[in-house]
Amino acid sequence: VTSARVGRLVDLEVAAEDVETARAEVERMCAELLANTLIESFEIVAEAP
Amino acid sequence: MTEPRPRIAVVTFPGSNDDGDARLALSHLGAEAVPVWHAATALPDDVGGVVLPGGFSYGDYLRCGALARLAPVMDAVRTFAAEGGPVLGICNGFQILCEAGLLPGVLRANRQLQFLCADVTVRVESDATPFTSACVRGEELVIPIKHGEGNWMADDRLYTDVVERGQVVLRYTEDVNGSRDRVAGLANENGNVLGLMPHPEHAVDPLLGPTGGAPLLEGLIAAARERVADYAIGGR
Repeated sequence: VTSARVGRLVDLEVAAEDVETARAEVERMCAELLANTLIESFEIVAEAP
Repeated sequence: MTEPRPRIAVVTFPGSNDDGDARLALSHLGAEAVPVWHAATALPDDVGGVVLPGGFSYGDYLRCGALARLAPVMDAVRTFAAEGGPVLGICNGFQILCEAGLLPGVLRANRQLQFLCADVTVRVESDATPFTSACVRGEELVIPIKHGEGNWMADDRLYTDVVERGQVVLRYTEDVNGSRDRVAGLANENGNVLGLMPHPEHAVDPLLGPTGGAPLLEGLIAAARERVADYAIGGR
């Protein structure tokens, strides 16, 4: 094994004007609750339906 | 003359399971424990202290203590703490205080990746908090632990700050769960908010084992009594 990663995948459907608004919203959710940035990092992949 | 029994709020979140013992222990030691539901938007009038008890708030999903920090009652607890009121977080309560940003660092899974249940010895590192005011530095207390996530960590910079500000209040005398430098209990900068992994509420009656929890709860009760006396004078 040369690398391993353990993580959590959260799928969210967000009602928003556009992808960027949705991304900003989700970014806030990650920073405030979904990730504890002392021990976790997060990455957001945002797509329009 | 009997001393007045100060009212101390014990918060119950869905999944709390040591709220009952916390109330019993506080009553046993001379306080009046007031149950408070997590959905309350205010603390009852004239409470002189707050306990966030152990358990598994909201099932401890996501991370332990993470969801509880958003409970309605936590705004009132934050305000109470900011006004200098004594707040004690035990086990899950400690995890909640860290997630809420009222205490530094975070609690991770034990080094052993196992739930641990044992009587442990902790040493008092600071007597500058209301909770340890009846203790002397270096004093050892035997108190049980029972947790899966008691491995407190902070990065080097945060840890150095925490130590320099004298916020480390209790350390295990030997490594228990991988916690950084054996930290078992921490206070905020003002000393009025304490979080610890051991359960003082389970260690107050010699019939049931060690009694190392009594001085910490008595410290809380004494601080609560002073605060309630201030209300009576009209300090509020």
